[in-house]
Order: sequence, then structure tokens, then C-alpha cells
Amino acid sequence: MINVIYVMLAIAVTIIFIAYLFHPKKGLIYRIQRVRQNIQRRFIEDALKHNYHCETQQLACTIQSLAGALSFNIDRTTKLISRLEELSLIKLNGKGLHLTSQGRRYALGIIRTHRLWELYLANETGIDEIEWHSIAEIEEHKLTEDEMDKIAEIMRYPRFDPHGAPIPTKTGEIPPKKTIPMTELNVGDYARIVSVEDEPKTIYAQITALGLCQGMEIHILEHTPQKIRFAAEGDESVLAPLIAANINVNLLQRKPHIRTSKYTLADLDPGKQGTVIGISTRIRGQQRRRLMDIGIIPGTLIASQIRSPGGDPTAYEIRGALIALRRKQARQIYIDPKKKTGDQR
Amino acid sequence: MNTSNNREIKNDKDSILELANSLRWDVGPNYYDELMESIYKDAAKIADNAISIADEKTGFDWDRFLDKLLTSRVSGFPIMLLILAIVLWITVAGANIPSGWLSTLFLDKLHPVLSDFAITIGMSWWLKGILIDGMYLAMAWVVSVMLPPMAIFFPLFTLLEDFGLLPRVAFNLDNLFKKAGAHGKQALSMSMGFGCNAAGIIATRIIDSPREKLIAIITNNFALCNGRWPTQILIATLFIGALVPPAIAGFISAMAVVFIALLGILLTFLSSWFLSKTILRGEVSTFSLELPPYRPPQILRTLYTSLIDRTIFVLWRAIVFAIPAGAVIWLLANIQVNEVSLAEHIIQGLDPFGVLIGLNGVILLAYIIAIPANEIVIPTILMLTVLSKTLTGFGEGAGVMFEFEDLSSYQTVFAAGGWTLLTAINLMLFSLMHNPCSTTLYTIYKESRSVRWTVVSALLPLLLGILMCLITAQVYLLFV
Repeated sequence: MINVIYVMLAIAVTIIFIAYLFHPKKGLIYRIQRVRQNIQRRFIEDALKHNYHCETQQLACTIQSLAGALSFNIDRTTKLISRLEELSLIKLNGKGLHLTSQGRRYALGIIRTHRLWELYLANETGIDEIEWHSIAEIEEHKLTEDEMDKIAEIMRYPRFDPHGAPIPTKTGEIPPKKTIPMTELNVGDYARIVSVEDEPKTIYAQITALGLCQGMEIHILEHTPQKIRFAAEGDESVLAPLIAANINVNLLQRKPHIRTSKYTLADLDPGKQGTVIGISTRIRGQQRRRLMDIGIIPGTLIASQIRSPGGDPTAYEIRGALIALRRKQARQIYIDPKKKTGDQR
Repeated sequence: MNTSNNREIKNDKDSILELANSLRWDVGPNYYDELMESIYKDAAKIADNAISIADEKTGFDWDRFLDKLLTSRVSGFPIMLLILAIVLWITVAGANIPSGWLSTLFLDKLHPVLSDFAITIGMSWWLKGILIDGMYLAMAWVVSVMLPPMAIFFPLFTLLEDFGLLPRVAFNLDNLFKKAGAHGKQALSMSMGFGCNAAGIIATRIIDSPREKLIAIITNNFALCNGRWPTQILIATLFIGALVPPAIAGFISAMAVVFIALLGILLTFLSSWFLSKTILRGEVSTFSLELPPYRPPQILRTLYTSLIDRTIFVLWRAIVFAIPAGAVIWLLANIQVNEVSLAEHIIQGLDPFGVLIGLNGVILLAYIIAIPANEIVIPTILMLTVLSKTLTGFGEGAGVMFEFEDLSSYQTVFAAGGWTLLTAINLMLFSLMHNPCSTTLYTIYKESRSVRWTVVSALLPLLLGILMCLITAQVYLLFV
């Protein structure tokens, strides 16, 4: 016996399946085409980016270096290059590849998208900083210029990405690099970290693992060919020069005003109190404002009150209100644990 | 003269803007933060100079005492669980009486009157069926079973909120939520979910970061809501309690229900953890939880706001969905194809799959068409069982939902439906883990403004429930 329901069901399923295949905007076939176009676009854009980075670092960009950067073989790279020439984005000059002015504009557009994405991820999501770069690396190829302009407008035309690198403007304006690598500092120098290179990933991971980020003030304690020892925000760190070369700094002419200390809010056990000295530069944007909103401002007296049965968070009395913060945040707030004399009655 | 002047000013303006724009490169990335900090610093200084704080109050500090009691390692969790249990018990037990009144009024008194009226004015049988037996009855049913528990739970919950207890619950549980990648305030929306998931989802508004809010929304369904407690209690009493000697039957069936509720809490944590490792990756970016001072609750204001903002709001949404669903239920039971009702065709189609996962076609169809509210699942199951097994002497006719006064009638109908212990266990599990009701789904859509997250919220528990039932069924069949 053929059940009517089954026949109706079978027809419905077939119709839905066909619609799914051929739908003009969301259908499977359309999507496959889109993906293929996107892959092509991605290679072109990655090639231009590589070329631009070579230019800024004054390195020669060749077929070989491009093949290395894209993990392509030479054949495939040559094909890509001829396509780029067709689009008059690059010029082949002897062995070297050079960006045309049109190609440079395009490359700057991609870099702008990449850095805006990183800033968005840093400010608006809870995604770990290690992953910002790789996510931006994929997303940068998906948006049109108009969409990016809208995002830039919402973010109020930011000028720097979360690593401190400048974001090109819409017209492709970007300031010349004025910083020096950390390896050029001498013992006793004070400097401020301006930007941290987010590539290669392994080196970047080591830098972030030490909690170093742009905006931090550092003091060089020891500098030998093997290592650089320095103080940053109350902690002492040691880096190999290979890694330190990925940190760009500005030399400071005199000792900066101290806004950090050895003690953080996380060191305050319930019943103890301390005065806020500053919030770590690692906390930025909205997160920083949130902390200031609840009254964590240099000079504020904070008393640790109760700890959750789970050990975290801890509730602090801040300007008359009882507010719970997690240990991870409390660790970013520098305090002076000395008791103010005026509070002992 | 004038125009050239204007042009000069315009040029000046442009050059100033240009200068400002080029200087933005020099001030560095942290310029805004530094500016903000100095503004806050000045504000704090002005405030400190202007405000003088009176001498601290002497004597016993109630706030600190209560905080110590409610957040201590020893007494914190037991007190929390006890209070939640008491609130739920008052709700479930206390709602029976007004629910009885309402159902007497709407179902026993008003329904026959309306039916007679429809017949007197010569309404055709099918129109009367759709309007009175379908739409009216579903709506009346939803009102009479939903209104009393909500009218009890929401005010009680709001009182606890006002008093300041709930932020302490979030404070105690935050470490667990942190491990699941979620926000401690999810404890609030979860507790609210025990009353009503739709209200629980509205309660996620207090979580200000979008990722953690979404996790709280998607996992809220695992908090066993008011609409599902009665189902759990009924099935546990009939099937689990029957396994043990009568003396401890009540206790064991209560334990079974508590187990399901605790399983729901466990699933909340597990699925939050799963989401924060997969589609909602990331960490809590901003966390701050204010523990406000304890204050005596304002009873009248609480009653008013919880009744207007929560009870009426949720009830209205439920009614909106119940009316068309009532028509669908009636039509499915009354449209005949090959002299068999549409409902029976679907039941037959769903039965093989239903049996595979230890349920049956009737239960699956009931969960599909009783989507407006979990409260009407059992009445729908009863109606469909009577219809598909052509039992006589039960119920009110095809497409008309009903309920029994005594447990033995339930037993008879379920036995006729071919129910076993496995069916009961899996119904309890499936009741915990299935797509949220349409009111909740609509609320999820309203809150997340995304079809995608609404679909995820529906499919995640549903697939989990099917999987869980399948495993239970296969393991059960190994031993029985």
C-alpha cells in the first residue's frame, strides 16, 4: 500500500532539494562558484600583500619568495603572476616583482581590512589574541571596500590596530615607520613599545605569553648578544634577540611616571585593602572603560571583601559598592597594598 | 568680499582638519584611553572633594553577616538549593488549586456553553470544531495551566531578585560558569528558566557581552521549566514510583524528577562549554558583577511589575501561538484520508523512528503539534493515543484535548498505547531535551535577532535528546 503521506513527503523533499541546488543567491551551485571566485581573489590579494611587505622591509620580491609565501610551486606562482600582470597590479622587472601604484592601493586596502578586523576582534569579542591574526587573514578577503568603510565609520576611523601597527586610511595614507626594534636599545634605556609584529605566529605567541603588548613602558636591565633582560609593568622578562627584534619601540628621553607595581588586586586577600595605582596597558578600549566606570581609577581605595566558594571571583568594595571581579581581571589592576593611615580609626 | 572671506575660513577649517588628521598618527593608539582616564580621574577628584561620607554605622552589620552566610563554602550552596527548591515546590504545589478553578471555569463550564451556542446558531460541525474544540480549547488550556504557576513563580523570583539574593547565587556559581566559558550572570537566567524559559531568555539581557549572552540563551532550555515539571512528576509517579514498594514510592519518584532537573543543570554547563569551544569561541571579555546591598523587597511594586512585565507578557505570547496550534491539532485529528485521520497517518509514519529511540509515534507527533506550550503535551498525547488506538470510554472526541482526575485512567490509556518503563524514562529525558516551545523560540528570535541562533537553539537540545533517547533505548533493550 502506498501511503499518501509518504508520496507527499517525497515530492516535498525533492522540491526542497532542487530549490536548494539552484537558488540564485543561497543555492549550492551558486555557493560553489562563489567559493572558487573567493579562492582566486584570496591568492591575488595574498600575493599583493607579500609584495607590499617586501617593499616596506626593503627586501627583494621574487617569484621564489612569492612561491614560498603562498606555499605554491613555481608553475602555479608563474600563472598567478601573469594574472596579476594582466590586471596591471604588478610589473615584472628583471627578476624582481614590483607593485604598480594601482597594486599598492589594492594592497593597502587589504592591509586596512586586516587591521580593522583585528581591532574589531580585540575590542568587541572575547577571542584570544593569538587567534586575531589568523581570523583576520581569512576575513580580509571577504568584505567589499564599501562594507569596510562602514565598519571603519562605526569604529570611528581608528588609526592603529591592537598590535600598534598603523591602519591605512581610505585614501591609502600610512605614516612612515619611525620606530626602532627593541634590539637597538642599550642598558638603562627607557622605551615604550609601539607595536608588536604578529607574524611569525610562534614568535608572537612567545611575546604575548610574557604579557607584553603595545603601549607598555620598558626599562632595559641587561643586553648581551644572547639575551635582553628588561622590566615591564612590574615584571622582569628575558627575551632572545631574535624575538626582541619583533618588538618595535620608541626611545623615551626620561624615566616615565610609574603607573605599575609588584602587587595587583588579585594579591589582596579578603579583609585587606589597597590603593589603585593603575590599570595594565593590556586592558584596552571598552574593557578599560568598564573598569573605570565602576570606579577603578588611580587613587581609589579598594577593600577586598568576600571570595566566592569556588575561589574565584572575589568581591571588592569600591567607592561604596560591592563588586565582584574575576582573578584574571584583578591581576591587571596594580595596587599599593599599604594601608592609608586615615582609614584606621 | 564676503565670499572670499568665507573661502578663507573654509580653507582654514580644512587645513585645521588636515593638521588634526596628520597629528592623529603621532598621538599613538592609546590616546583615547589616556584621555578617558584623565577625565575619570578629574571626576573622581571633584567627587571626593564634594562628597563627605558620614561616620560608618556602628553595631551589627547585617549585610556582611548575610554575605558570609550566603557565600560561605559550607552554607552557600545548600541555602541556595534549598531556597530554589522551596520556590519551585510552592509554585508546583500551589498552582494546582487555581489551575483547577480556571480549568473548571474555562473547560468544564464555558466550553459546553460555547459548544451549545455554536450548535444553536447553526454553525457547521467542522467550523465549530476548529473554533471551539481547536482554537478556544487550546487557548483556554494554556491559560489555565500556565497562568497560575507563572503568577506564583514570577513574583517570588522577583522578590528574591529585589532582596539581593540572586546576585549572590551568580557570585557563588561564577567559577563553574567560568570553566564552561560562560558568564556568572547566566546563573540568574538559568534559575529564571526553571520557571519559564521564555522569561529566562529575557533575563539574559543583564549579560552585556554578546557571546556570553548567546550561550545563556541557547542553553536556557536545559533548565526544566514550569510546563515540564508536571509532566515529569506525572510520569515519575506512574512508572518510576511503581518499581518500588509503595512506602517509598513517593520519595523515589521525587528523586527521579530531581535527577532530571540536575541532569538539566549538568547539561547547561556541558553545552555552554561545548559552545564556547566550537561555534562561540572566546573568553569572557568584560566581567563585573555588582552585589547590591540587601534591602527589604517592595512587595506591591514587585507584584505589579512581575505580573505585568513577565506573566502577562509571556502568557500573551503563548496564547498567540496556542490559537493556531489548536486549529492544527483539531484538523489533524479530523481530516480523513482513506478513511483514516491525518494524525494517524503521521503517527504511523513516525512510529518506526519513535520506537527506535524508545518513544512512539504518538509522543513525537504530540511534541510537534503541542509546540506552543509544554503544558499541553500530555493532554495531546492522551487525545492522540485514544484516537489512534480507538479506545472507547475515554476522552471527548477526536481533536479535543483532555486530562484525567485519577492516576489509574492514565495508566489504562498509557498501557493501551503500549508504554513500557523505557517509554516513560525516555519521555522524561525527551521532555528535558527537546526544542523549546514556540513562545520561547519566538523570544529567542526577538532577543538574538537572528534566525541562525534560533535554529541552533532549537536543534541543539533536540538532537541531543534524540541521541540520548537512542542510547538509552539500545542499552535498555540489551538488558530487558
